[in-house]
Amino acid sequence: PTFFCSSCQLQSATLGPHFTDCISRDQETFRCWWSPGSLQNLSSPGALRVFYLKKDSPTSAWKECPEYIHENRECFFDANHTSVWIPYCVQLRGQNVTYFNEDDCFTVENIVRPDPPVSLNWTLLNISPSGLNYDVLVSWKPPPSADVGVGWMRIEYEIQYRERNATNWEALEKQPHTQQTIYGLQIGKEYEVHIRSRMQAFVKFGEFSDSIFIEVTEIPSKDYTVPLTLVLIFGVVGVLTVIMLIVISQQQRIMMILLPPVPAPKIKGIDSELLKKGKLEELNFILNGGGVDGLPAYATDFYQEEPWVEFIEVDEEDAEGGDKEDNYNSDTQRLLGLPHRNIEGFSAISHPDDDSGRASCYDTDLPEHDTQRLMASLLPGQPEDNETCLDAPASETGEKPLIQTQIGGPQTWVNTDLYAQVSNVMPSGGVVLSPGQQPKIQENTSGSERETQKGGKQNEDVEGIKEQKRNEPQFQLFVVVPEGGGYTAENNTQQTSTPPSTSVPGAGYQTIQPQPMETKPAATGDANESPYILPEPSQPQLFTPVADYTVVQELDTHRSLLLNPPPSQSPSLCQPQHPLKVPMPVGYVTPDLLGNLTP
Amino acid sequence: ALCSRLSSMRAASSCTNGQTGCHFLSLANLFDRVIQHSARMHGISNDLHSEFELYFLPSKNQIGRVSRNCHTSTILTPNGKENAQRIAREELTEVILKLLVAWREPLWHFHQNMAQHREFNNFSSNKSLEMSEMVHELRRGVQKVVEKMQMLGVINSSLGNLGSPEALLASDRAEWRLMNDYDLLYCFRRDSNKIQNYLKILKCRIIPEHGC
Repeated sequence: PTFFCSSCQLQSATLGPHFTDCISRDQETFRCWWSPGSLQNLSSPGALRVFYLKKDSPTSAWKECPEYIHENRECFFDANHTSVWIPYCVQLRGQNVTYFNEDDCFTVENIVRPDPPVSLNWTLLNISPSGLNYDVLVSWKPPPSADVGVGWMRIEYEIQYRERNATNWEALEKQPHTQQTIYGLQIGKEYEVHIRSRMQAFVKFGEFSDSIFIEVTEIPSKDYTVPLTLVLIFGVVGVLTVIMLIVISQQQRIMMILLPPVPAPKIKGIDSELLKKGKLEELNFILNGGGVDGLPAYATDFYQEEPWVEFIEVDEEDAEGGDKEDNYNSDTQRLLGLPHRNIEGFSAISHPDDDSGRASCYDTDLPEHDTQRLMASLLPGQPEDNETCLDAPASETGEKPLIQTQIGGPQTWVNTDLYAQVSNVMPSGGVVLSPGQQPKIQENTSGSERETQKGGKQNEDVEGIKEQKRNEPQFQLFVVVPEGGGYTAENNTQQTSTPPSTSVPGAGYQTIQPQPMETKPAATGDANESPYILPEPSQPQLFTPVADYTVVQELDTHRSLLLNPPPSQSPSLCQPQHPLKVPMPVGYVTPDLLGNLTP
Repeated sequence: ALCSRLSSMRAASSCTNGQTGCHFLSLANLFDRVIQHSARMHGISNDLHSEFELYFLPSKNQIGRVSRNCHTSTILTPNGKENAQRIAREELTEVILKLLVAWREPLWHFHQNMAQHREFNNFSSNKSLEMSEMVHELRRGVQKVVEKMQMLGVINSSLGNLGSPEALLASDRAEWRLMNDYDLLYCFRRDSNKIQNYLKILKCRIIPEHGC
């Protein structure tokens, strides 16, 4: 389309010389082409001359074309002769004729037609899931002639595309960027794309660029997608199954990890189940560290081997009604019987052990019961020979059996060294041990023990006994053997412990003195074996007068009881005066006895 | 498309005042905004001019008869790329502002006249109104750009008198009334292109790295 003469081509035959077009490519220069028209005689070069008028001042004049290009019939205006926004008028002049048309006036910015962009290329953006369509990104560079970098020209582009053999072009929206996306192209078809440019907010487009061809053939991806999908599905299902199996099989552990159990308070060595079952003997045993010493098995077996313990218990339940001697005898007999019957090696009981050292202190009144001798033998390491202290307590013979109650497993006692079990700790600090003491002690304690053994001793009797025993050895050791079950509840359960306290030095168990040197030989390794000290709740009442009781001073390393005679004890008791020591109740103490323990 | 581009530019210009690079980025964004604005203004003026030609069927001599000067011809403007690049920044900015100031009142009057003509449809009438408003907005935008440039030290502060550019054109105030509507549209079309061109050149001279 020409700028000047839209109808000129129709009338070119009759029309004279005229300008066909003036175009600027970069807004810095422009060219004008003319045609001689129908008058051929003016077609020779130089026959027509171009003049232009630049209306930049009122006094401007026509000037001739600065540069001719005759072969093109073109007049070129370079940058020096080009001014934008200033009206130009061009005319042709012949020999004497001037061919001028007012339409041939223009301003440079209105005749700008930018060159087409260069370096077109395209990239595939994506393919539709159906595999039928795809999108393409076309990119290019601005025409080099247009100085876009300086901002002198602002170009916008228009992309047109069509199928290879189509006739109509599809035009996309004009935009100033150097790339644009074409959507919805079909796979398998070839497309032709070209671009043209124009100044922003102007109407004249430049020429189209050279076409590029876009074609995307089918991608055989479907073959891969189907098996891949199946593999993924099966893989996921398999993994899930494995996880479920793991979870189910390791349910407990997982629950432990996820929801760890709250630790309940526990005491080392104590099983709450024991408490629930009431197995106090075991509990006491544990408390006394029996388990640590490796003794529990022994201790439990020890008791188990002595059914006479229970036997005694039965006696305790008997009413006090029976005279002491009867009870004593019965107890003694029982005691005597049991070891012979049930306990091996009890025959040795009849043989006084030299270690027991009891002989000297033995009272002749002691019954000939083997048990008594056994009892004597149960007192190892006691320098009874040198002491006559036991004579006093010998007055009561009837109480011998008490000692005899210690028969149970005398040999065992001997083997383990004599040790006594504290059946009770007096408020004054005296310790009540079960029988297993020398006969004198038996006498002293027999009454009380008898009563205790009988169980359910009444205070009067106890006190009576106490009175009787005032002159007697100053201490009485009640070795109480707990029953196999449920000891704590009964006050009656005063059972002579099998092992007499070994810590009794010379006084023949009358006083357990904290004389490790004396007691050690016999005491070594025995006191530890005393499973526990069971203070009787009723016993404190029996032994308040103190004289018959000693204070457990301490436990030596072997857990043997080291008793101290109470301060009120008479020196005739063959008890070396020992400084009182603070009684230290050790072992198992029932809560209800705590009150009694306080001095 | 213009609105979206303006909004995106608005978002991009929201940076803190602590960094020089950010300042230049905000200045570039300001420039882009005013350039876009001027481009739109020029487009509207182009449309109006074409419609005016269509409606009033001016003779083909119209272009040839554009010998009368526009009222803004007295403003010296660079007429070529090299001239525009050689001129000082301050002077180029001053030219832009002068042009914008000179066209505010004539366009407003043009709109008033066009509203009365029944030949002009509503669409053209809206365009003339929009055109007159855009001139005013563009002038304010360019003044903001100038202030930013002065803050950044890009240009000297010798343009202080531009706050009241009416003083510069006091002598030209009456000349525009002599033009007819067509000439006015023609002249404004030319001047809007000048403004657009000068703004782009100015931006690419000051901040060449952002979109030139």
